[in-house]
Amino acid sequence: MDPETLEKDALAAVAAASSLDDIDRVRVEFLGRKSALKLALREVRDRETGMTLNALRERLETAIDARENDLRRVELDRQVSEERVDVTMPGTPFPRGHLHLITQIRREVEDIFLGLGYTVVDGREVETTHYNFDGLNFPQGHPTRSPLHTLFLDQQTVLRTETSPSQIRTMEAQEPPVYIVSLGRCYRRDTPDATHTPTFHQVEGLAVDEGISLADLEGTLDYLLKTLFGEERRTQFTTNYFPFTEPSIEARVSCHICDGSGCPVCRHSGWIEVGGAGMVDPNLFEFVGYDPERYTGFAFGWGLERIAVLRHGIPDLRELWRNDPRLLRQF
Amino acid sequence: MRVPMSWLREYVTVDAPAEEIARRLAICALDEVERVREVGVLDVDDNLGRFLVGKVLAVERHPSADRLRVCQVDVGEGDARQIVCGAWNFEAGATVAVALPGALLPVLEAPLDERELRGQRSRGMILAEDEVGLGEDHAGIMVLPDSLEPGTPLDQVLPIREEVLDVTPTPNRVDLLSMVGLAREVAALFDGELHVPEADDPELVDAEPVDVTVEDFEGCPRYVGRVFRDVAIGPSPQWLRSRLYLAELRSISNVVDVTNYVMHVWGNPLHAFDLTRLSGGRIVVRRARPGEELRTLDGTLRRLHPDDLMITDGDRSVALAGIMGGEESEVSDETGEVLLEAANFEPVGIFKSSERLGLRTAGSNRWEKGVDPYLAEQAAVHASRMIVDLAGARMTGHVDVHSGLPERPVVRHRPERTDHVVGFPIDPGEQCSILEGFGFEVAPNWDVSVPTWRARDVTREIDVIEEVVRTVLDRVPFTMPLRRHVKGHLTKEQRLRRLVEDVLVGAGLSEAYTWSLAPSDPHRDAIRLPDPMTADQAVLRTTLLPGLVEAVRTGLDAGFDDVSLFEIARIYLPSGEPLPDERWRVGAIVHDGYDVMKGVLETLYAALHLELRVRRSSHPSLHPGKAAETDAGWLGELHPTLLEGVWGAFELDLETLFSQVPERIVYEDVITYPAARQDIAVAVDEDVEVGALVDAAREAAGPILREARVFDVYRGEQVGAGKKSVAIHLAFQSSERTLTDEEAAELRGKIVAALAERFGAEPRA
Repeated sequence: MDPETLEKDALAAVAAASSLDDIDRVRVEFLGRKSALKLALREVRDRETGMTLNALRERLETAIDARENDLRRVELDRQVSEERVDVTMPGTPFPRGHLHLITQIRREVEDIFLGLGYTVVDGREVETTHYNFDGLNFPQGHPTRSPLHTLFLDQQTVLRTETSPSQIRTMEAQEPPVYIVSLGRCYRRDTPDATHTPTFHQVEGLAVDEGISLADLEGTLDYLLKTLFGEERRTQFTTNYFPFTEPSIEARVSCHICDGSGCPVCRHSGWIEVGGAGMVDPNLFEFVGYDPERYTGFAFGWGLERIAVLRHGIPDLRELWRNDPRLLRQF
Repeated sequence: MRVPMSWLREYVTVDAPAEEIARRLAICALDEVERVREVGVLDVDDNLGRFLVGKVLAVERHPSADRLRVCQVDVGEGDARQIVCGAWNFEAGATVAVALPGALLPVLEAPLDERELRGQRSRGMILAEDEVGLGEDHAGIMVLPDSLEPGTPLDQVLPIREEVLDVTPTPNRVDLLSMVGLAREVAALFDGELHVPEADDPELVDAEPVDVTVEDFEGCPRYVGRVFRDVAIGPSPQWLRSRLYLAELRSISNVVDVTNYVMHVWGNPLHAFDLTRLSGGRIVVRRARPGEELRTLDGTLRRLHPDDLMITDGDRSVALAGIMGGEESEVSDETGEVLLEAANFEPVGIFKSSERLGLRTAGSNRWEKGVDPYLAEQAAVHASRMIVDLAGARMTGHVDVHSGLPERPVVRHRPERTDHVVGFPIDPGEQCSILEGFGFEVAPNWDVSVPTWRARDVTREIDVIEEVVRTVLDRVPFTMPLRRHVKGHLTKEQRLRRLVEDVLVGAGLSEAYTWSLAPSDPHRDAIRLPDPMTADQAVLRTTLLPGLVEAVRTGLDAGFDDVSLFEIARIYLPSGEPLPDERWRVGAIVHDGYDVMKGVLETLYAALHLELRVRRSSHPSLHPGKAAETDAGWLGELHPTLLEGVWGAFELDLETLFSQVPERIVYEDVITYPAARQDIAVAVDEDVEVGALVDAAREAAGPILREARVFDVYRGEQVGAGKKSVAIHLAFQSSERTLTDEEAAELRGKIVAALAERFGAEPRA
């Protein structure tokens, strides 16, 4: 056996192999157990010949492997070039649920205030008149105290009419500073219509500290409104009256339909009312034992449904309670 | 309240246009101001110039039309104009309102033209009030005072072109339910000049005593009673009718109109009685007697409550104080003698009566907010002047009964405290002038005397501060609280509630919101509302399930048969305490039965790093063979009677569930030493639960058994009747060393032995 001839023949055979079967045959012919090279190696007696033949074996192995890789690649290319799918076919359906719109808004508001360093408080829904009215400075004879407006369980127990009782409970439980928001269900004796449901959701905010000012309240609400409704919106604050705040204000945001020029949606005012707010009335501080000279605070209580209406155009609040899959899936 | 601007401008001189006044009032003073409504005739192309005062020089019957007359009218042009007119309520010499050809009237589509009417030329129109938006009466034309010069522009005489504001004050500002109050506010906000109407009190003629007794000064702190005789009841003059119309008050007769007009001016509701209908001409103010009834002037017979404050004549009630007069003592066309009531009533009682009776009136709307008792006198004087002037009456009696009028509050104010509350400096001089503009008196030591009309509302320094702040609201800068100490984060429970929501949404469930109040509840002692709004919302629920069933049904009705819903909300357990135990629950209904639901629940537990372990159980809403419980609640397949189709459901108490969630996960080496995996299959009796097999396997092998999962249950001939073969995948793993094959085999052997011993389980090949 002449190694040079063998190598020449082998490399020629490798080059000529045009399929994986061919290359297998070449491998058996030149490197198989009965191949001339293997037989020759078995009979080698001197070191020099052994080295020569082993080097040859390695070269042939390398050449065959390389050729095999090339052929595999060609084979794969051929195969994938034939595998086509209609890429516009729909995927395998995977179930996906939806958070209720009010939950989405609730989380958004919570996150805004968590980012500002507030904590989230879960208030009670069934409350005593002590916390729902007395602690919030509702005068005797205030309309809200009437069973025509509030759902009473007994003389001293109501379904909370706003989230504000959580303010009182929080202040009773801790010393200032207080930075909290409290979100949840509230109840009023409202006949259901497009803009009222007897159960609704509020977000309550309360900040009590040394040096809290009306400017801080407006700055906070401006930030909240722009985050919820868009940086381009303008905010305005008008005077109002609530038993638990003094001074009291109402927040308005520039109309999303007409951008302030006046249209039926904003009743031609250019502004949309979002909700009430104000500086915590000193009577509340006295009620919970805070020093009203040392501490000032602000509070606000807004309806989450109102945000849903203003931002998503929900035409009828009752829809939010019907749980029609067609509505749930929109958000 | 409707505010015609020409009326308001009579009381305050300001340059600002109506829009600007409305805008600033909305920011600084009122709850709401609707947009400025423009009413009456159009103010374009000198249209207003085509409306003039005219004097009728001659009136003749139309020669060829029975219902028309031909008038010669002087409108200040020199020559008289011939105008054909269909009204019959005037004669020659009358002063009337005339529209010239070309005039645009709100009731005509085209401009008024000059034309022939049955052969007679008509060069204009004599106007009725409805034709220029000043009323609804079309029975006759408007007859104006004779003192007016022909040719006077009509808009100087009548508000034929008007801007009207619709304002809603906040409940603490009843003073702004009056033209005078609004004028004062506008004067202060725009630095305008205020002209409070000042009427000369008529002289008493043939003075006589007025018999007024107030038995209940708490309910009626003041009662001004005045008597008028020789009262000529008749229609009001056009200017009064027009103003009332624009203010949305109905014109009835001169005396009644005066009471409404003066209420609108001053905010103090008035009432006029037919004096002859009062027994003995007396007034006694007292609470209603048990069983007493009164027919109010809307014709309704009302049963009264002993808390209702009544105006009586000593014998019978003649009016519901502050709310509505009685039909019997009402002023009518025949009335010749009038008792005018200018009183003051306490707010809470009026509110309660009005609410109890479901009767809200312009009067009750003011009284229930607390009217200034000082106003009664100004209102009485103004009304008296008008009754004398318009009804030709003599005022013969006056009495003012009260138990002492309240002192004006004096509040010590610190201007720097305003800066502290509002967050930016407001010059003390400016604070002082703002307060003085609203009628407060500021002493050099900053003792602030509150005007009587704000005495209920402003009693503390913070209330004084509000007066300043509302005026400068549009100058407040936007800042953020300093927040030197904050700790903003969700509690563990809040965080986990979100996690539950997200996992369930990820598992394909949508979130439903259902009512806290249910028509009924399975809990025997569930809390019922004593006076529910509707039977559908009568009980505070103790379970989320019925609401979810209802929600799924909504989905089915909408054509979706694969609805999967969950809700996270509170339920309300009776606690024996005054307040119920409010607990957060998660409930779900999952399309397609127990297995899918269980898979959802396993995913949820895994996300919480909990292992779901269930026990067979029963629940009235569940399929008896497919019901189970966990430490936190129940799960199973809905009983087929509840909802058509096959539905899995669960409801868990979140506090119980979350109490088992580990605070933190500590690292465990599960990488370095691979697990030894083995599968076993054992044949057991059909009634052996696979959960029991897994439990026994864990017990036998100890914690080194990292995973034991049933992956197949086979029933068939090879296993034998009443038996099943359960295949369990086992993974043994140590975090300290690689387990040898011998160790794994030994563990497996222990498990097989334990299963054989406990359940008679036979290993299968």
